[in-house]
Amino acid sequence: MALQTPAVVMDNGTGFSKLGFAGNDAPSFVFPTAIATKSGVGSAAGGGVRPAVASKPSYLTGGAGSGGSLAGKRGTEDLDFFIGDEALAAASGPGYGIHYPVRHGQVENWDHMERFWSNSIFKYLRVEPEDHYFLLTEPPLNPPENRENTAEIMFESFNCAGLYIAVQAVLALAASWTSHKAADQSLTGVVIDSGDGVTHVIPVAEGYVIGSSIKSIPIAGRDITYFVQSLLRDRGEPDSSLKTAERVKEEYCYVCPDMVKEFARFDREPDRFLKHTVTSPNGRSVTVDVGYERFLAPEIFFNPEIYSSDFLTPLPTVVDGVIQSSPIDVRRGLYKNIVLSGGSTLYKDFGRRLQRDIKQLVDARIRASELRSGGARSGGLEVQVISHKRQRHGPWFGGSLLGSTPEFRSYCHTKADYDEYGPSIVRRFALLGGPGST
Amino acid sequence: MLLLDYQNVLIQSLLTERFSGAPPTSIDQVVSDFDGVTFHISTPESKNKIRISMGIKCFKDLLQYGADQQLQKEYGSYITDIEPGYDFTLLVDLDNLPPSAEERESLVKSISLLKRNAMAAPFERAFDEHAEMAKEASKYSSETAPQGIKEGGEVMAIHYREQEAIYIKASHDRVTVIFSTIFTDETDRIFGKVFLQEFVDARRRAIQNAPQVLFRNEAPLELQGIPGFRASAKGEIGYITFVLFPRHITQQRRTDSISHIQTFRDYFHYHIKASKAYIHSRMRRRTADFLQVLNRARPESEEKERKTASGRTFRVQG
Repeated sequence: MALQTPAVVMDNGTGFSKLGFAGNDAPSFVFPTAIATKSGVGSAAGGGVRPAVASKPSYLTGGAGSGGSLAGKRGTEDLDFFIGDEALAAASGPGYGIHYPVRHGQVENWDHMERFWSNSIFKYLRVEPEDHYFLLTEPPLNPPENRENTAEIMFESFNCAGLYIAVQAVLALAASWTSHKAADQSLTGVVIDSGDGVTHVIPVAEGYVIGSSIKSIPIAGRDITYFVQSLLRDRGEPDSSLKTAERVKEEYCYVCPDMVKEFARFDREPDRFLKHTVTSPNGRSVTVDVGYERFLAPEIFFNPEIYSSDFLTPLPTVVDGVIQSSPIDVRRGLYKNIVLSGGSTLYKDFGRRLQRDIKQLVDARIRASELRSGGARSGGLEVQVISHKRQRHGPWFGGSLLGSTPEFRSYCHTKADYDEYGPSIVRRFALLGGPGST
Repeated sequence: MLLLDYQNVLIQSLLTERFSGAPPTSIDQVVSDFDGVTFHISTPESKNKIRISMGIKCFKDLLQYGADQQLQKEYGSYITDIEPGYDFTLLVDLDNLPPSAEERESLVKSISLLKRNAMAAPFERAFDEHAEMAKEASKYSSETAPQGIKEGGEVMAIHYREQEAIYIKASHDRVTVIFSTIFTDETDRIFGKVFLQEFVDARRRAIQNAPQVLFRNEAPLELQGIPGFRASAKGEIGYITFVLFPRHITQQRRTDSISHIQTFRDYFHYHIKASKAYIHSRMRRRTADFLQVLNRARPESEEKERKTASGRTFRVQG
């Protein structure tokens, strides 16, 4: 076959799903990982009520606890559902309840996920799964049972030609190869993945995640929005809804080199205060002043004490700690390749500030040990934070990049392999893009 | 979602966004559609000129059956030179769009139906042929009709997939559409059989005016002696025959009929998969139920083996 079908890349995150074809520079579809189903008799009245928390891991119950009412149906109820933006729209009307099949990056409800996938494939991507290879993503430390479940669905329901499941952090590293700063295509580095709910700092050595050193920070996009909102409220702005706060955050915020100096600078240069116009659906529009929150909002990564009283470790310190807890022989590589990924890392100068702060920590430590050793000189340590253009959909783009390489297919498990060995085959994948592959 | 859409959602949403006056950006996307169709949407010259190319496996077949005129009629001035590697190319200039919102919308709609329109050509031709033959045949009674009319027109073959094809044949009282399908998976084949039986039964039970559907594993007689046609040796190819009667192909129903029948294969496969998903969800439910039963059956306090500090155990003396 002369024209090979492009691989399908699907990155199903907690908040949003990114779908598209390998080789493209942006996902074709980005929509919420949500599914709206007809609220059946079995589920709580009114719909939209979250199912009770399962007492067992979801791979044992299969997440059947909530969607179980379907089992009693004999008609076409199982086809009556919407996904993505349509789901949100349907759920706001009567009769439908919304569900989020992915929680904390892991699939919780396989019934819903299976139907979510079937709709993504047939309605949005419009492909025959028999003709395409699939590249899916998983969070770090995903239990192997979840992988097996995924493979069962992909191979047995959809008969997809081939499957590769990659760790998001590794794909985010691959995505950074497009940056001119990334000197070599190495899969060693620290990924700072900050989405809406949580920020992860994940060290990766030669394509393998160092699971024991992963740290997560309970500060992410949503917290920044809340913080902006509270600042707006304190000032008594005419509109301080969550939506406005989000717009302000996305349009005006940036990272400053020094908080105190920035306050002084704002007072010196009044044109740094901006105005944001909000037009409500009824046509009325109000103006909101935008002031210090422009640099204060992202500052909660670096000085968490201004926002939260529970979590007080700044992001640079966490990153440094993660690298220090990793094996000693990869630390130099990790410092050299700190990669940003996710929507909350897009602030202007975020990477530069992070690099400077980590560098300060490292230099201070080197100086201290030089003093202690009495006269020995250190060669220094290179710290480099890489920010690039594909940061927002980093894992997806990395998947697209790797999925379009000619050798991608040889790394996949095919339907024939699956039929031969069974689901346990997907517990292991050869490392795509690793040493010796390109 | 019972039926699949005919249009390509991505092209539709992309063009709708572009046409609505959003700031121009450069696009370069390869998108695929069912039946191995590939689209390439790009802005090669400037950000205001969107080029949409389609690569389709059976384009040669389609050209032979008048796809050219069909596409010319549909897109006219938007057609440009074919991009290398693809079969058909449109160019839309954003500065030169139709003024009214409705016209723009219909342009988006028609571009997103590009694949459907290309594939529609042989159907249109068959339907026209049928109309002509019907007129011709009305002059004769069934016994005196000359051979050509009784037999019907030539069989048009569209090899739209590697091993599968659609055959269309017009005759004076019906149009026959035959799909040859192949199932790579054993389970799928069984599901498919059940489905097709439903199609046959539906006509018998409820919907009398549905087109007649036949399913068999041997090649139908219509296909005998067609150049390039190979009967399958092992019977892994199934043949699904739709018989469209004049009431299905009246002028006003024509467009719908063509769209429906084109998506048949995808519809069919989608539903096989959807029913598997449904069965899986019932299986998961059942497993959960069984696990619950097992958990309930666990004894309250399990008898534990007791040990002394030195590791010896007590044993009840018989």
